[in-house]
Amino acid sequence: MEKTVKGEKPNPLWGFLSSVRLTIVLLILLALLSVAGTLIPQKEGAIEFIQGLNPNIIKILEFIGLFDLYHAGWFRLLIGMLAINLVICSIDRFPSAWKRFAASPSVDRIHQFEDLPDNLMFSVNASVRQSCERISTLLNRRYRRVRFKENNDRFFFLADKGRFSHFGVYILHLSILVILLGSLVGSFFGFEGFVRIPEGEKVDSIMLRNGTASISPGFEIRCDDFTVEFYENGAPREFRSTLTFLIEGKELEKKDILVNHPVVFGGITFYQSTYERVAGKLIRLKITTSEGGKIDESLTLEIGQKIDLPGKEGTFEVLEVRHMGSVPAALISVETGKSDPTRFWIFEGFETIRSRLPEQMLRSPRFDPKAFKPYIFVLEEVQMRYATGLQANRDPGVPLVWSGFFLITAGFILTFFSSHRHIRVLVEKGKNKVHVKITGSASRNRFALERELQRLVQDIKSLFPA
Amino acid sequence: MTSSEILSYLTFIYFLVFVLYLLMMVMGRPGIGKTAAFMLLGSFALHTAALLLRWQESYAMGIGRAPLSNLYESLIFFAWAVCLLYIIVEWRTRNRSAGAFVMPLVFLAMAYASFSPSISSQIQPLIPALKSNWLITHVVTCFLGYAAFGLSFGFSLMYLFKRNDPTEKKGDSFTFIPNKDMLDELNYQMVVIGFLMLTLGIITGSVWAHSAWGSYWSWDPKETWSLITWLIYAAVIHSRMVRGWRGKKIAILCLVGFACVLFTYFGVNYLAGLHSYAN
Repeated sequence: MEKTVKGEKPNPLWGFLSSVRLTIVLLILLALLSVAGTLIPQKEGAIEFIQGLNPNIIKILEFIGLFDLYHAGWFRLLIGMLAINLVICSIDRFPSAWKRFAASPSVDRIHQFEDLPDNLMFSVNASVRQSCERISTLLNRRYRRVRFKENNDRFFFLADKGRFSHFGVYILHLSILVILLGSLVGSFFGFEGFVRIPEGEKVDSIMLRNGTASISPGFEIRCDDFTVEFYENGAPREFRSTLTFLIEGKELEKKDILVNHPVVFGGITFYQSTYERVAGKLIRLKITTSEGGKIDESLTLEIGQKIDLPGKEGTFEVLEVRHMGSVPAALISVETGKSDPTRFWIFEGFETIRSRLPEQMLRSPRFDPKAFKPYIFVLEEVQMRYATGLQANRDPGVPLVWSGFFLITAGFILTFFSSHRHIRVLVEKGKNKVHVKITGSASRNRFALERELQRLVQDIKSLFPA
Repeated sequence: MTSSEILSYLTFIYFLVFVLYLLMMVMGRPGIGKTAAFMLLGSFALHTAALLLRWQESYAMGIGRAPLSNLYESLIFFAWAVCLLYIIVEWRTRNRSAGAFVMPLVFLAMAYASFSPSISSQIQPLIPALKSNWLITHVVTCFLGYAAFGLSFGFSLMYLFKRNDPTEKKGDSFTFIPNKDMLDELNYQMVVIGFLMLTLGIITGSVWAHSAWGSYWSWDPKETWSLITWLIYAAVIHSRMVRGWRGKKIAILCLVGFACVLFTYFGVNYLAGLHSYAN
């Protein structure tokens, strides 16, 4: 922990940054702050929460980043501290791990075989040479490195495996750094955006999530079709957008995109996110006269299409269609060439929604279907269609994060489920038999070592049938 | 009989198993423990069969999905995973004393799933966000992790109940409990397994979220609480491995950790977020 290189004065800063006490404090601090972040409403959720608070207090709370805690500077600072702590700890301890990895203990350590329990000593009926050969074959098959030494008619074997487990903990910690690096790369060089495309239309820009800016990806995205399917119980079964990607009007790729099946084009990944029903291009309406009586047939027209009025007083067109309070509405413009065009909104099912609209609105000529006398415009139907909502992201940090995930798993297995085991075997000549002694050591999990030694005893015994 | 009927009967059997394990401790009769262990094996086999039956039922309904996608199914799977881990530990340690501390988790989870009026046991089809190959790996790893933390919770309680005095008088209810060093070691092993599984659960969830919502991490309450749990257990492991903490301190930290697990599992449903279908 707080140790330093020999001969140097202990550096208090190094000591502080390489202490595991700091690690534990940081881990718990980050945990507590994350708890706070889930209890205090964040971002959009905070707007309701802060209503009624003193504006000055709100300013202070916003300044300390209480409503976007996970992106607040000091939260990142703590994560940064954890990363530094991790690096310093690793640098501090790595040399000793390397020593244990590279160590080559002497093979003929006779004292290791003193005071062995009886079940690790046995005799075999064979010559010393035979015994050594067979044991050597077995050990070489089972262990990565086997060393042999003869000393005073004693024959020593030293086998080991799993020495890479000393690095497990460094791989584990490196993986955390790689993941953090990946998230940094993503936040600096990536973006999160959104596109909304009505069926049959195309867009060439992506709205960014944070802020009002938008970027142009250098290609166009057209939504050819959007379908939504439901189960019998009304829950959605599938959302599917059929997209075409175009560059300079040329169709390059046509892809279906579903939830859980994003599509990548030009380095940007598109995810099915939302959908909505919007007004289409076709409108059906009819024109009657205020005297009543004569009723024209319904006619269907497109937005922007100019149509003669029944009495040839001029032309009219639909400029815009939109939903007002969930009711479809169309903006009519009547031109006679004499004065400014008359513009007014008409609603689908005007009589039924009349009661829902405010009094003032009804009196305004902008919402009067009789604004151009003597005609009354009646909106019968606005063709509906879907608009798909796609998340459009670029995140160059993702491969780093993924490799961090791989490393963390590998490091975990090396650290917790493998150990560096040394197995020692001694063969020596007795009066009329050959004695074999077995012992070993492990960097962790002594119980597993015991089992391994027992198994080895059995296996070596079986090499020498009675 | 449908799978959910079998599972609701199993609740009572698990309760009986718990009572037997408890009697073994209180009366100091190992024979009762043996009966409990055999009953547990039987009910675990039935539990496994019911899970498979439910899977098959969903195919018969034309839905065809693994039984791992709502609160009911997750509770049932949690109980199954706790049983599985407990049976393995009982077999490896040749000790049945943890039964009385672990079985309550099992029958409470089963009872909550089967008898809470707010939990539907119907097999519902999957909404688009859940239709993914990651569903099974994500849920299995997370719940194996929760189960391991559940066992760690049991061992921590045992540790705190167990007296330090090595010369316990006979008839003490806790004589069957292994010595404190072994409890500490078992607890630690469960924490390591749980931590690995939780890590894998977060990883698979993250990869899944990336393909479903376009972001591998979005600070959704469930994500955040799983991170909180992860941080707490990371602290447990560091304080034990490097700072050499043992025993009581670790046991108390593990209780805190398990409280976080429970909040990640249930409490988060009261906070809005992306995981609301697990409600």
